[in-house]
Amino acid sequence: MNEYAKAFPQTKAQNFFWRMIDLRWPIITLSILFLGLAGSFLPTMVKDTTSDAFINPTEPSLIYRHKVQEIFGLADPIVIAVINEGSNGIYNAGSLNLVQWLTDNIQRLDNIDPDKLISLATESNIVGTNDGMEVEDFYDTAPTSHERIEWIKNAIEQFPLYQGSLVAKDRSATIIIAELIDEAKSPETYDAIMELIKSAPNTLGNEIHVAGEGAVSGYMSVYIDNDTKTLNPLAGLVITIILFIAFFTPRATVLPNVIVLATAVGTFGIMAGVGVSFYVITNGLIVCLIGIAVADSLHIFSQYYEEMTERPDAGQKELVVRAMASMWRPVTLTTVTTMAGFMSLWPTNDMPPIQYFGLFGALGVFIAWAYSLTFLPAVLSLLPKRKSRAFKHKEKTSKSSRLMLSLGAKVLANPKKILTAGVIIILLGIVGTNRVIIEEMRVENFKSTEPLYLADKRINAKMDGTYYLDIMVETPDFEDLYKAENLEHIEQLQAYLATLPNIGGTTSIVDYIKQMHKAVNENDPDYFTIPDNDLLIAQLFLLYSASGEPTDFEEEIDGDRQLALVRANLNIGSFVQNRDVVLAVENYLVNHFNNDQVTGNITGRVNVDYHWIKGIKDSHLASVLVAFLAVITMAAILFRSVWAGLFAAIPVGMSILLIYAVMGFGNIWLGVGTSMFASIAIGLGVDFAIHTIDRMKELLADGKGSIESRLVKLYPTTGRALLFNFAAIALGFGVLLTSDVPPLNKFGGLVAIAIATSFIASMTILPALVTLLGPDFLVSRTRRRKFKPATASAILAVMVIGSVIFNSEQTQASDLPLGNDIIKNVIARDEGEFVTRNLTLALTDRRGKVRLQETKSFRRYFGKEKRTVLFYTAPANIRGTAFLTYDYPDVNIDDDQWLYMPALRKVRRISVSDRGDYFLGTDLTYEEIKKENKVEFSDYHYKTLGTETIDGITTYTVEGTPVDDIIAKELGYSKVIWSIDPEIWISRKVELWDRNGNHLKTITNHDIDKIDDIWTVQKIHVVNHKTGHKSMLTFSNINYKAAVSDNMFKQNMMRRGIR
Amino acid sequence: MTPLRGMIASGLLSLSPLTALAEIPTDFQAIMKSEVAVGLSDGDLQKWDFSIRPEINMSLSDNIRLTAIGLARIEAADNLEPGRPDQFMRGTMSKRGYIGDIVEVELREFYIDTSIGSSYLRLGKQQIVWGQADGLRVLDVVNPFNYREFILDEFEDRRIPLWSLNLEVPVGDMMAQLVWIPDQTYDQFPETGATFAITSPRFIPTAPAAMPVTLNEVSKPNNFIGDSDVGLRLSAFMSGWDLTLNYLYHYQDRTVLFQSHHNNGVTINPEYHRSHLVGGTFSNAFGSFTLRGEIGYSTDKFFLRPDQDGVHKSGEFSYVLGLDYGGIENSFISVQFFQSIITGYVENIPRDKADNQMTFLVDRDFMNDTLKASLLLIRSLNDGDGVVEVDIEYEMQDNITLTVGADIFYGTKRGLFGQFSHNDRMTLAIEIGF
Repeated sequence: MNEYAKAFPQTKAQNFFWRMIDLRWPIITLSILFLGLAGSFLPTMVKDTTSDAFINPTEPSLIYRHKVQEIFGLADPIVIAVINEGSNGIYNAGSLNLVQWLTDNIQRLDNIDPDKLISLATESNIVGTNDGMEVEDFYDTAPTSHERIEWIKNAIEQFPLYQGSLVAKDRSATIIIAELIDEAKSPETYDAIMELIKSAPNTLGNEIHVAGEGAVSGYMSVYIDNDTKTLNPLAGLVITIILFIAFFTPRATVLPNVIVLATAVGTFGIMAGVGVSFYVITNGLIVCLIGIAVADSLHIFSQYYEEMTERPDAGQKELVVRAMASMWRPVTLTTVTTMAGFMSLWPTNDMPPIQYFGLFGALGVFIAWAYSLTFLPAVLSLLPKRKSRAFKHKEKTSKSSRLMLSLGAKVLANPKKILTAGVIIILLGIVGTNRVIIEEMRVENFKSTEPLYLADKRINAKMDGTYYLDIMVETPDFEDLYKAENLEHIEQLQAYLATLPNIGGTTSIVDYIKQMHKAVNENDPDYFTIPDNDLLIAQLFLLYSASGEPTDFEEEIDGDRQLALVRANLNIGSFVQNRDVVLAVENYLVNHFNNDQVTGNITGRVNVDYHWIKGIKDSHLASVLVAFLAVITMAAILFRSVWAGLFAAIPVGMSILLIYAVMGFGNIWLGVGTSMFASIAIGLGVDFAIHTIDRMKELLADGKGSIESRLVKLYPTTGRALLFNFAAIALGFGVLLTSDVPPLNKFGGLVAIAIATSFIASMTILPALVTLLGPDFLVSRTRRRKFKPATASAILAVMVIGSVIFNSEQTQASDLPLGNDIIKNVIARDEGEFVTRNLTLALTDRRGKVRLQETKSFRRYFGKEKRTVLFYTAPANIRGTAFLTYDYPDVNIDDDQWLYMPALRKVRRISVSDRGDYFLGTDLTYEEIKKENKVEFSDYHYKTLGTETIDGITTYTVEGTPVDDIIAKELGYSKVIWSIDPEIWISRKVELWDRNGNHLKTITNHDIDKIDDIWTVQKIHVVNHKTGHKSMLTFSNINYKAAVSDNMFKQNMMRRGIR
Repeated sequence: MTPLRGMIASGLLSLSPLTALAEIPTDFQAIMKSEVAVGLSDGDLQKWDFSIRPEINMSLSDNIRLTAIGLARIEAADNLEPGRPDQFMRGTMSKRGYIGDIVEVELREFYIDTSIGSSYLRLGKQQIVWGQADGLRVLDVVNPFNYREFILDEFEDRRIPLWSLNLEVPVGDMMAQLVWIPDQTYDQFPETGATFAITSPRFIPTAPAAMPVTLNEVSKPNNFIGDSDVGLRLSAFMSGWDLTLNYLYHYQDRTVLFQSHHNNGVTINPEYHRSHLVGGTFSNAFGSFTLRGEIGYSTDKFFLRPDQDGVHKSGEFSYVLGLDYGGIENSFISVQFFQSIITGYVENIPRDKADNQMTFLVDRDFMNDTLKASLLLIRSLNDGDGVVEVDIEYEMQDNITLTVGADIFYGTKRGLFGQFSHNDRMTLAIEIGF
């Protein structure tokens, strides 16, 4: 028997912690090992500060934009403006020289596409000559003479297209637009440009500003780095101070900091290890975790010192065990609820950075919990017993205790007043909620004193704008854009665009044609029109090509003269304002633009932004709802009472309403950063309610006397611990207020307010309600049943999964069939009872070397069971190889597969979990060979994404994500997108992503015909993007009518072979 | 040719089956192969062969298919089977033909396939392979082996096809295979002086010093019916398990070396003896693993012993358990354990009662199966000796394969593998199919 066994009667929990302390050295070693292991991944962390990172990569508007980018090569540019407020504006030798210098030097930078750089120094004038038309560069060399400068000025004034887009209409500014080759390298490029500008020739009166979407994402990374450098140490310092004030002991100051370190290193190490990037908002997670991680140890230390004052004779180990045994429960409860809050961000959001914020936030909370319950007692038990000055006397008379006690006395004396105040706050919240607006402006991520912020405002005030809304115009045939009627249609579109708010100007090929038309007519302004003769239009292009560069129009029109891009410049990046523009343009395209000859599709950064930001409202409401329901349910389960669940929700509900009020009345937007506050505030805020209810229940269960006299004991003990808990978390988040990143700023402030509200409401409203109502679940004397964490976490898991499913169903493209139904149709597609066919495999490697293989295959359905056998007939070295498979309808029964290897003359059983392996050197897996353009329904979750036109056929795009990691590992995919032809329920195209999220393969099905009345794919083409290897499968001699003997599917048949 | 003889010839030709042959759907393929093996200890050429293996398939009718596979081989080094090897162990119809010492021709397989109702018959010279184990023989004893390259040769070349009748009859959900083999051909071991001649005392009796040894002619079974082998196999696929039950009544493929001691020395009388073999196999897949096994019991096995008549008769129980793992993409890992137990063990037998071997195989494919690397280790757990075979195979085109390999033996000279430890070799081969 252990020495401790005699010490005091053992509860199960105490027994458990006694045993844990016996294992303290292994625990400490393991804790350190974990820290080292996770830490070793940290250097591999990748930063991703692009704004595209926030958009679900399958968002159709993003995909479409990438497509347009590929055709016209328009990426997010960095815009450099030269501004001169002198009387001639930029038309002076100094400014024009500067433009030349900047153009030359920027062109030489890495990651800048020199051919796509636009500035006065690269563009050309179109003027009429005796022979027709001449294309002349504005600059030969940098202009110095007054005449040349005047010529440039006149040329620009005669060229409406360039006014506002290249040179400000008031002549005071001109811009250089630099396209990036790789948007991921924008931080380096932005740095390089800023460095370059420092050494620019300094002429009087010139200002240089750098803005544009490319600059925003480029600078964001630097900006956040700097922010982190001050933010995190500050958060750590604040926490340390709180710990010191709470306990006045080194151990209680240092150990929680070790837990904070483990939490941060563990969370971010695992994050790096699994390959999740560090996004803009991940920064906020560090600070969150610092605040949350100390909360557990704060409660444990508080209990430990309390035990010490109550049992002055107890040994150190006994004190640790007693403290742990009484604290593990509330600490676990709060961990579970906080995790639920974080986790609710995962299923309810489409934005990967926010999803990962939720996921890794939950992981961090879990690590903090695990270290607090294992590492902390293990180390603490090694230390000698030392008292804390804060807990000197048995009568808890520390200042903080006295403070809480007096608060308690007041609350319990005036319950009605307290409740009235609560109701007022709730009403205020409801009013405020209606005033909250959803808005996002990326440039507002920077402080208003930042050069980039100023540049954005300055350039957009002077020029047409640096935010782009594009319309891709498509025509059915080659050179359709030489037709005057089509061009007039585009001209009308541009005219309409110009009437919309925020649109400073538009650009399209029409502007150039009009300019050329004018030029060939002796620069007569009356001819600034579209020629009414199709032939003349074609000739204008030809004339232009005689003296201009062939690539000059590639950003406006494609080489086949079939696609054109109309670009509108907007001068503000506001979601609210641009929403109206996008909707108006969409409406115009549908009702006035699209016809048989021309169709237009809206795209560009502004459109993409509109599409993903409009989802914020839904995902925010969903996440609040899910988080709220999750914590209510958790609390209800923990306390075995629905009323308790609702009771626990009161402080949280109040805090959320109050936040909405603050946002509504304080004009704080609900944007990307702020939309996360609610879930986290709910998850953290409910902790206070849980600790309070738990303690009230205890006090009311065994005490005597009035409810008030019993409840007052809540304040100096639990109340005091909660005060420090609140201080740690609120101040931790409060540190975000010092951040230079305004959204983090607001996020931190809002969470801090929410936490404060939850704390205060838990300490006031809840006891007041109990005094007035005396609810049964608290006051009844029945003994509390034991809490079972396993049950609770199982229920939580079910809820989270449920909400994932709920959510994925909800985001289905509304007017299209559900993904599940589409796939069911695919699976139900008739394949005939029998089939006999030849299959030729052409396998082409990266270098173009082709291998040919011939096979003969048979398939037959036995009821729902499908059997397939495939015999290789050529070449000689694999001839005789045969593959047999039994595919059972019950997914719980593994399929059976055999391979006959002629070299061994043996039939070998092969395991089915190798179904993601490539089938005999092809680019298709065993699973794909077996399923023949179908899938196992239970392998994936399905979601309809939209439609896609492939070879003129409208297909449904359905995304499949493997139901779990095991299936994903088996299949080898993390995501599949099928483009399914709804007429025949066969996919025309399949895109597959590997488990690391890289685009792995594209499968396209061709020559789909009806054979024996069954739709049949006769050619399958597979490209492996990783290896460059390709497979072409060609089916021939397909026969569905000839019966196939069941003997064909026996192992003997494989040995015998067929000829 | 005179006009008359020409006419006769053409007349005969028109009547001969040759013209009919031309009408028959025929498929012809051939594989040419050349392999060089260089000894690592001495740098000598162990073999340099060039072979062609033509295969003809003819559909004689809708239900009758004829397959003929021949082999012509030139082995220039002539170390594996020096000169013209004795062919006493081969049945009359299964002998190889020799042109000089280094050119050999052989009809490898020649059979017709046909079905009778739901039964299926393969009649003629063929290979019949039983068992689930790779390389370890418990039930795969229907056909004898040629050990000219010990176990380094490919299975396809090692196994000697036999004239047999192979009838498969469905019985309910099961399949019964009936095998009748009237071909009296047995294992062929290289003769003394050949590279892979057996020297281990476990298989070759050591003569007492200064005692003259007389080796008598092998007494070989020769009754077509009376000395034929028969076998029966029942296979079933039940609840995911592949199961077979096997029975074979056969001549052991190795001679039993009876010794008689007399005043003039020792006389050895090699004889072939019959045995019953009963056994079974099983296999099933579990997740990424495949479990395989085979068990067999032979009633009459003979083991060398130095005393009495030089041999000891006993039953032998043997089994193989194999576990394959395919959980790593493009890879195949397989471990097998083999144990043979002499049920009536006596002292003096120069091996342990239980003889244990392990094999370990790793295969990995690269570049869409055009490059394959494999490593096979076979180790005797009793003697600690073994062999490591490494192969890298590259499919240069769909019909050309290059192979580079090394075979390393290690361990005691007394051991099955260790006896060849001076025979380590590097190989290089090219195979062309057309």
